[in-house]
This record gives sequence, C-alpha cells and structure tokens, in this order.
Amino acid sequence: MGEWTRVKVDFATSHLIFPTLIGIVLIVLGAAILITQRRAVLGSGAMWRETFARMDKARFLGGLGLTVLYFLLMVPVGDIWPNTGMGFLLCSIPFVALTGILFMHSRTLGNIIPVLIIAVAGPLLVWWLFSDIFYLTLP
Amino acid sequence: MDFLSLISPLFVMLAIGGTLVGIIFGAIPGMTATMAVAICLPLTYSLGLENGLALLLGLYVGGISGGLVPAILLGIPGTPSSITTCFDGYPMAQRGEGEKALRIGIIASLVGGLISLAALYFFAPALADFAIRFSYVEKFLIILFALTVMAALSSNMLLGIFSGFLGIFVSLIGVYDVTDGGNGHFRLIPPGTDYWLDGGFSLLPVLIGLFGLTAILDEAEKGMPKGMSLDQIKVGAHSRFSFSVFKGQVLNLVRSSGIGTFVGILPGVGGSAASILSYTAAKTTSKHPERFGKGEPGGIMASEAGNNGLTGGALVPLLSLGIPGDSTTALLIGAFALQGIQVGPLFIGNNGDTWNAMIVAMIVANLAMFVMMYFAIRWFAMVVAVPKHILYPIILMMCVIGAYTINYGIMFDVWTLLIFGVFGWLATKLKLEIAPFIIGFILGPSAEIYFVKSLESFGDLTIFFTKSPIAVVLWVLIIGSVAISVLMARRSRQQAAGEPPLA
Repeated sequence: MGEWTRVKVDFATSHLIFPTLIGIVLIVLGAAILITQRRAVLGSGAMWRETFARMDKARFLGGLGLTVLYFLLMVPVGDIWPNTGMGFLLCSIPFVALTGILFMHSRTLGNIIPVLIIAVAGPLLVWWLFSDIFYLTLP
Repeated sequence: MDFLSLISPLFVMLAIGGTLVGIIFGAIPGMTATMAVAICLPLTYSLGLENGLALLLGLYVGGISGGLVPAILLGIPGTPSSITTCFDGYPMAQRGEGEKALRIGIIASLVGGLISLAALYFFAPALADFAIRFSYVEKFLIILFALTVMAALSSNMLLGIFSGFLGIFVSLIGVYDVTDGGNGHFRLIPPGTDYWLDGGFSLLPVLIGLFGLTAILDEAEKGMPKGMSLDQIKVGAHSRFSFSVFKGQVLNLVRSSGIGTFVGILPGVGGSAASILSYTAAKTTSKHPERFGKGEPGGIMASEAGNNGLTGGALVPLLSLGIPGDSTTALLIGAFALQGIQVGPLFIGNNGDTWNAMIVAMIVANLAMFVMMYFAIRWFAMVVAVPKHILYPIILMMCVIGAYTINYGIMFDVWTLLIFGVFGWLATKLKLEIAPFIIGFILGPSAEIYFVKSLESFGDLTIFFTKSPIAVVLWVLIIGSVAISVLMARRSRQQAAGEPPLA
C-alpha cells in the first residue's frame, strides 16, 4: 500500500493512541445513534419524567441514600477500633435492618422481628467468617 | 492422573454446595447466576484455585438451572435465560402439570449441560492449540470480532457496539501499564481524581456493581415486587411424569444443546439468546408448531437444554482465547486473576490439572443439580417465596465485602461498586447493553496492547489485513457478523411493520 497507511508510533505518546481512536469511534457511533434514533433521543426527556413519576421514590432513593451512608460511615467507625473489622460489623447491622424495613411491604411486628434477627445474625456470621476464618481485611 | 489428588472431599462438597446455592439464586426471580458468582468471589481467596473454581462452577450450573422453577410455576423467568421456559412450562403448571413440567426441564438441563461439557472438553484444547499461533494482530482482531458478534445479537446493533466501545474506553482510564509494555503515562483521569484512578477501575467491583447493585436498584425502583406467598405456588401433585414424554424428542434435545453450546462459544452472548434460538428451532421444525406456547413439553426441553448447553460452551472462548463467553464467565476471569493466573491459549497446556479439575467440577455440578432438583423439587419451589426485603440487604452487604477485599482493603473499590451499580441502572434506561460493555471493559487493556504493539513493530496499518490468512478470515467473520445483524434488523423491522408483534 502507499505512504498513507504508514504509521510511526512515538513511544512517549503511545498511551494516547488507543484512547483517542476509541474516543473517535465513540463520537462517530454516538452521532450515528443520534441520527438513526432521533425520535427516541428527542423523547428521552419524557422517558425520564415518566420513570421518575412511576418510580417508588421512597424505596429507590431511600435505598440509595442508606447505601451511601453505609459506605461513608464504615471507615470512620472502623478507625475507632483499627484492624478489627468493627466498621463493617457495626455499620452493617443497622444498614441491613433499615434497608430490610424500608423494602418491606407490610411493616407488622411479625415481619420486622425476623428482619431484625437476620440483621444481627447475618453480619455477625459474615464478619466472623471473613475476619476469623478467612483472615480477610474488613473496614 | 495427578489431578485426582486435587479432587478432595472439600472439592466435591464445594461443587455440590455451590450448585445448591446457585439453584436457590436462579430460582428467585431478580437474582441470577452472575450475581451468585459475584457475591461468592471473595470466598475463593482462601480456598485456592481448584476449590474456588469448584464452588464458582457449581454456582454457575445451579444458577442457570434454577431459573426454570419460577418460570414454570409462576410464569416469571428466574434468570433471563429461562424466558422461553415460561412459554410452555407455565401453561402446563396452570393445568396441574407443574411437577411434570419441572422434571422435563430438569432432565433437559442435565442433557444440555453434559453435551456442552463434552464439547468443552474436546473443543477448548483444540482451539487453544490453534490460538497459540496467533500474533498480536490476530488477537486484536479476535477481540474486535467478539465485540461485533455481541453487537450483532444485541437488540440494537448500534447501541450494542457503542456499549462495547464505551466499555473499552472506561477500561483505558488510568495508567498505560508498564508491565504490558506500556509507557507508564496516565490518561483519561479527570482532574482531582488521580489519587483514586491512577490504576483505573478494578474489574471485580465493576462487575459486582453491575450485576449485584443494578438488579437491586432496578427492583427498588419498581417498589420491590411483593414476594409470592406459599399458597400461590402450585406444583401439581397429581401430574405423573414418565420418561415416555421424551420419545421422539432426542433430536430436539441434541439440537437444542448444540445450539446452546454454539451460542455459548460466541463471545459475550448470554443465555437468553441460547434458549430463544433453540426454542425457535424446535418450534419451526416441530410437526405441531401450534402446540408451542400452550404447554408443549418439547418447548421446555428446547429452552432448558439450550440454556444449560451454554454453560460448557461459554467456557470454551474463556479457556482457549481468554475471552469470556457470557457475563458469568466474565466473573470467572476475575477469579483466575485473584489467583494470579491468566486465562488464554496457554492456560490448558500449562495448567492441565486445573483444567481436568474444572471438568470434574462441572460433571459433579451437573449431576448434583439433577439429583437435588429431581428429588427435592418441591422444596426448591418454596424458595421462590423467600422475601426480597430480607435477601437484598444481605446481598448488598456481601457485595461490599467482595469489593473491599479484592485489592486487600481499598475503600475506593466499594465506591466503584456504587458508581457502576448506578451506571448499570442508568444504562438499562438508556437502552445500552451491559454484556458488550463488560466484555469491552475486560478486553480493552489487552486490545490496546495488541493494537499499539502491532503498529509499533510493523509501522503500517495494512498489517491488520495482510498479516496472515487467519487475519483475513477474521475480517470476513467481522464483516459477516455486522452484515448479518444489519439484515436481521431490517427483517425484524419489516416483520414489525407487516404483522403485529408476537407476545
């Protein structure tokens, strides 16, 4: 083939070749999608409005919020008793309990008690299994 | 026969236990084989490679098989791969033949699993021997082929290819690794995030997020569908099952297992494609196509033999080329990586004992699946009723352990889990495809090395076409898969315009 297919790779900038190429491919594909699916793209605002209208906001946003809180608290709590996995254990118990109650449909005492028992026993068992038997690091 | 020393009672117990847990995961709608493997990965740290694989392969086989329980009893597929089992299984259950339908499905699953296992045993080493001769050029083209095949079988080809390339793009974040011949420079890191992202996103937290958290967010968005109460589950005590139902169905079973295995070998194509293709083939070749969808045993056989045929097939590209055949086997790459083993053409030759142990684990898992489900199907039917509000928080907690322990205690990996869990939820809303994304994400760094190194050594773009006859064949396959998907899309559009869509 002619000169135009020749490529000289400069090692110092070789880390940018592939990301640039993939970026260009993504832009081209993105443009193709915008053109062929323009109706769906234009309707996406309505799609999101409908999604949020239909969404069970308490369970979805509440679950997400609890998860973020769980992740945020794990390390600071764990730092109080370093290298014991306490951050994981002490945060998992309320997390499992609260998420379980949040996801539950009829919150009667008879339904809540099994969740509370599992919320205590589950993390305790997992914590013992992973930190004492498997010697894995937990927060 | 050195590998027999690896087959300890623990090994067998793990394969059986894995199968049991897998069936339970598969049987609960909304929980999949992939999720089961994702949350059990951290257990494999201390188990060692063979024992860890026994557990994970048990989970895989069990998870794919368990999906038939709710598909038949409730008409809800337990896993995406048992969608077509609903078509005939649920009508049978409604007319009181639940147990019969379940047993037909279980036997078909066993046949599919064993046939695909035989294919794996003979085909993977041959393919690996062939692939050893591949240079970087052919390896790069294989990855490109994997992406186009997946995209071809996505519901929308453009979005499928886009998802695959997006996966590659995200995988390139971080350092161009020196150990693979890169120059050690960073790229694509947003300002201020270099502390966390210098090594990019870790594979396993990404997978756990996409398969664990995304599913939970999805169900939470829908308001956590209420669990079934036990009295809604009718197994149908008086339906007699006899093997005579399989008379005249041997061809169907073998063909469906073959289709499942073949679909499994195609990289990145999941179980739903396997069962849909086998079901369609069974229906079109049947003497009574009108009975399909109304409780035809042949439909259950095709669907279940097809999706279990996938299990062996999906391991073929994984163990011979290092390319996962579906999303569950993508997680197995993570399990190998945890033990410091790279899968690819050299794997079987260099790890003969592990390879044999894997085959034994698959046989044990298939037999255990059959025995447990055939004789205790009534108990598994009850699993369908386990309340999600108890399971999901526990699964989230297990996801955290998985993500946190993967790199020996990095909190950013836990946040990665959350980022990709939310991303997975958004992606399904935007109709992006998760499977191509995952394969792109896993293979992206290798694709980069193969591509850049090929250019560095040959200095000419034409090398990708002229390196060898194999390269030419791969280009034909790549163009062929794109062409077929364009044709298929056009045909389905015409059909959609011409006739009302099927249910």
